[in-house]
Amino acid sequence: MLRTYLDFIRAVAVDRLGRAGVILVTTSFITFVVMQAAILLGIVGNAYVGLIVYLLFPLLFVLGLALIPIAWMRRRRATGLTTRELLERRFGPDGVEADIAGSKVFRTVAVFTLANVLILGIASLMMLHFMDTAEFCGTACHSVMSPEWSTYQASPHARVACVECHVGEGVGALVNSKLNGAWQMVSAAFDLYERPIPTPVHQLRPARETCERCHWPEKFYGSRLISRVAFADDEASTPSYTTLNLKIDPGAAGAAGVHWHVDAGNQVRYASVRDERREMLWVEARQPDGSVRRWVNTRLTPDAGSGETGQRVMDCVDCHNRATHIYQRPDDAVDALIRLGAIDRSLPFIRREAVKALRGDYPSRDAAEAGIRAGLGAFYRRAYPDHLATWLDRIDAAADELVEVWARNVHPGMRVGWGAYPSFLGHRESPGCFRCHTRDLRDAEGGWISDDCTLCHSILAYGEAAPFAYLDPAVEGARNRPMHEYLRDEFLRSVEN
Amino acid sequence: MRRIAMVVGLIVLSSPVVGAADDPKVAGACMTCHKEKSPGLYKQWFESEHAAHNVTCLSCHQAERGEADAFSHYDAIIATLVTPKDCGRCHPRPADEVGASYHATAGQILDSADAYLAHVAAGDPVAVLGCESCHGGKVEIDPKSPNRLARRSWPNSGIGRINPDGSLGSCNACHTRHGFSKAQARQPEACSKCHLGPDHPQKEVYEESKHGNTYYTNVDDMNLEADSWVVGVDYSEAPTCASCHMSATRTQGVTHDVGQRIAWTLRPPVSEHKESWQAKRANMQDVCTACHTRTFTDGHFHQFDASVRLYNEKFAEPATELMKIVRSKKLLENPASFSNKIEWTYWEIWHHEGRRARHGAAMMGPDYTWWHGFYDIAQHFYFKLLPEARELGDPDVDAYVDRILSSDPMHRWVREQTDDLKKQIRSGEMQRVYERFFEAGE
Repeated sequence: MLRTYLDFIRAVAVDRLGRAGVILVTTSFITFVVMQAAILLGIVGNAYVGLIVYLLFPLLFVLGLALIPIAWMRRRRATGLTTRELLERRFGPDGVEADIAGSKVFRTVAVFTLANVLILGIASLMMLHFMDTAEFCGTACHSVMSPEWSTYQASPHARVACVECHVGEGVGALVNSKLNGAWQMVSAAFDLYERPIPTPVHQLRPARETCERCHWPEKFYGSRLISRVAFADDEASTPSYTTLNLKIDPGAAGAAGVHWHVDAGNQVRYASVRDERREMLWVEARQPDGSVRRWVNTRLTPDAGSGETGQRVMDCVDCHNRATHIYQRPDDAVDALIRLGAIDRSLPFIRREAVKALRGDYPSRDAAEAGIRAGLGAFYRRAYPDHLATWLDRIDAAADELVEVWARNVHPGMRVGWGAYPSFLGHRESPGCFRCHTRDLRDAEGGWISDDCTLCHSILAYGEAAPFAYLDPAVEGARNRPMHEYLRDEFLRSVEN
Repeated sequence: MRRIAMVVGLIVLSSPVVGAADDPKVAGACMTCHKEKSPGLYKQWFESEHAAHNVTCLSCHQAERGEADAFSHYDAIIATLVTPKDCGRCHPRPADEVGASYHATAGQILDSADAYLAHVAAGDPVAVLGCESCHGGKVEIDPKSPNRLARRSWPNSGIGRINPDGSLGSCNACHTRHGFSKAQARQPEACSKCHLGPDHPQKEVYEESKHGNTYYTNVDDMNLEADSWVVGVDYSEAPTCASCHMSATRTQGVTHDVGQRIAWTLRPPVSEHKESWQAKRANMQDVCTACHTRTFTDGHFHQFDASVRLYNEKFAEPATELMKIVRSKKLLENPASFSNKIEWTYWEIWHHEGRRARHGAAMMGPDYTWWHGFYDIAQHFYFKLLPEARELGDPDVDAYVDRILSSDPMHRWVREQTDDLKKQIRSGEMQRVYERFFEAGE
């Protein structure tokens, strides 16, 4: 068998070009098989190996195959012989003599062609499959995608592939994504893309097809307790707690929570200035009984671009616009690191100094690393020279964590700085909920969509020294006693409901 | 005994009257939202004495349905505007004193020359921002406005604000919201929101004076946060504006009627003694004696009064008389007030440098007395007012100017020789011309 194959390929490679084709086909095939085995066995796992195995080798394989007939045609033209004469010369009269199943050469070619089609089919499938992996999306266009790739890896959806949200199911989605991808290759090659890249929410698959495959609105969500710690800029980096009981359930009428917006039967439609989903032109809510209420923005300035360019039915991403590619604020990031113990709070003023170091203007990761280390070091050297030696490890460890946070959130090459992509969730990084829940939007009777704090969450602590400060009865004489009692009462009533 | 009575009074005054609308839960809802939406406001209140004494948002902002500026806000009927009437629910005496004070009349300026000038020479927005911000404007109701207050008239924290509830003034003019700190109101900065600039530089005069000097040097020792703040007893480093004009002495209680210790009004073209000025002067001298001997303060007022009389007789009265002739003979080119150059010259002589000179003399500011004061008056009197009057070419005006310059011993120097004048100064003859100003008050 091997002998037949060797004889055949020797005969097929009519000249140097043909031999090159044969070598390309053989080596790329063998390497493909070996690399595939190595990947399956877990010997290599680098994302770039995938790029080479699934994109480069199949390409070389096809190129090699194409070279062989080209070489034959060149040879035929050079010698002036017919195909049959050439075949006879290369394979002997034996090989060309036809019997009932065709000639020997024909049979060999047929077998090899079948094998090639099979190999190419498998390779193409593997290539498509590889293109569906997050590694492909995140690393193929390395510099362009690095902000999204780095935030994705640290996100709650880190184990959901990009294509599950960005491409969706079906042949149409596949073709669409490949066409889009082709244009993106051109943009990346010729530097035609914007920096920072605008959020592609407008092209995102409908949330009903993507998000709701895992997060279906009919599920009972109840409420969700979240507790935030903010550390002060004082010497002790004193913690203060804000604890919210988020009313996220779609809920029944009268006790509806945040997911009321996407509950079956409810539909919220809106139009926003320049279709940016930030400043509303108007908002409409259709209730299950079919009635519609409409609120119109009464505070739009004429130059704000009040022309309506599109309407939208609200779904998950109108609030969860950063469900995956979550960028942190420097203060939040430092608070989280201190809370996790990754930054040691026993270092005086560490919260203030860490945030200051993160906010520095660094042109690259190397510069950030140097700047953050130098910034922290300089402060402690100046302010606490006697302790520097014993604190050095803790300061270094803090700097390491800060560099990671910086690198995840700041991408100077893509002009992504702090706050480039604010989240619409809540109301900390952008008006968020208050885009619609505002007195700027009025209905015909002058009414507005409630912006009452306790509509969406009970408050169990708001910048207090204890995480559940308002669960206990208020202390006589406390300055915020009315607020304390009001919030305690509100929470207890909300839980009863 | 008197101090005990005062302390008791203070305690009574500082116990808030909790009204029926004062449901603490409703106030709790206000705080929840405003802590998030206007955190600075919340924090000022939280740190304040009000918060420590259970005075909440609604204690001040509660309103009754039907009041002109009342509006429904979530679960409460409130008013944005807090007037002396509102503050007076807990602080009745200061509210009454303010109502009776000259400060309370500051908003009735529409007929004053100042307001006229702002309206014609500048324009209405300037009248709103440049005049009414300090003087107080009339707060108008606009039913279409979210808080029912017309935007042209609100915000306004002028001291003589004319409120929809009929009260006059704005406590917030001096007691800055939402902290309402005693210390803040006792500091000179509280007054210098308005009392500064070319026409009434009280702030600048104070800064130049020995009083201001020692205050800024020793501000940390001023005991500004103390409940009792009696000059010479609770603090002794320096007086602030409040010390002399308002705060308690060993014999006087604190007063919110700022005119009670002022003998002269130095505001008009020609200075005048105020009604029962001797008693008011005595009130002021009582303040001074917390730190100075009577001989010392007598000397100060002797010098001050002399310079006011000098201003009146040497410049203010002749300049005013001159303008009277000009106006009665209708010598000016344009009919409207302030449409002729000489009117601006006369205005600046009394309204700007004239007040600078007198305030400088009143509060120990030498530079304001002379270089920013009398020097400017003299220059404008001799080299602007009189030449501009002569340009009118009227024989009566010329005769009056000539009479001033040739026969008035205070102005005669203009036509004499320098050497002779120096001799007069050396011999004391020149000083004797002004002797009567020192003697007049004795």
